[in-house]
Amino acid sequence: MGIFDRSAKGHITPVIEITIERGALIFFAETIGETNPVHLDTCAARAADHPDILAPATYAVVVGTLAGQKAKRRGQPDILELINGDLRVLLHGAEDYTYHGPLYAGDTVQVENEITGFSDPKGGKLEIAHITTRISHPQRGLLVEANRALIHRLS
Amino acid sequence: MTTTITIARTPDTAQVGDHLPPLTFGPISRKTLALYAGASADHNPIHIDLDFAREAGMDDVFAHGMLSMAQLGRLVTGWAGQSRLRGLSSRFTAITPVGATVTCTGTVSDRLEQHGRVLLTLALAAHIDDGTRTLRGEAKVCGTP
Repeated sequence: MGIFDRSAKGHITPVIEITIERGALIFFAETIGETNPVHLDTCAARAADHPDILAPATYAVVVGTLAGQKAKRRGQPDILELINGDLRVLLHGAEDYTYHGPLYAGDTVQVENEITGFSDPKGGKLEIAHITTRISHPQRGLLVEANRALIHRLS
Repeated sequence: MTTTITIARTPDTAQVGDHLPPLTFGPISRKTLALYAGASADHNPIHIDLDFAREAGMDDVFAHGMLSMAQLGRLVTGWAGQSRLRGLSSRFTAITPVGATVTCTGTVSDRLEQHGRVLLTLALAAHIDDGTRTLRGEAKVCGTP
């Protein structure tokens, strides 16, 4: 028997606005070992025709997490609470990004999470929650769609 | 038998079977994990709190899968430029322990030309020192319009 709350299927979280902070972006880029200055230095980014520091490809996951934390501060449940995730047995199974446009420092983006469903592979040894995160900009439209599989080890 | 490895130069000229220049990251220390937890806002204690990890039945903390996926991202964007990246995906096939060095590799697995524009599919992988594959991924990269 699984742990995830299956009644969360189809739930879409209220839209949360997140402003991409320059310092936070640089901290992330440095931590992952990024050396391309378009991710680290505003002048270099502008010299390369970007309006500001360019977020690395996997920064979308951070934006999704920040939105969850902001939701929590507002008294709304984050995704883990909605699906009843148990961190002791939770694993990240898969992550998939489709890019429609770049994400820059200074952007204020709208973040929406959807719990698209659950699956039960390997004869019940695992259960998987499928989450979609959409990051959109009010003028530039949808920038990134992220699909995530979160796994509970059940045995 | 001799195997020739061809390094792909640019997305426009890359052919199926060409390799991307590989990328290594690490060794991944506990400090790296603490910094990544802060930088990514992923505060899951299984990656940074040994007491929590042991209570959860693990011998030790282990690296965030997304830290390795970030390396797959660097592998592809470092080669193609981020403006050409259309998609990036990964399955996390094994845990990355503390102390591991991650090696990321990529191979051109498909090449399409549509309306004069190249669209490449790259098969990606991350392996750790003992040969275990920790991530299996894919990227979609386009050529010059």
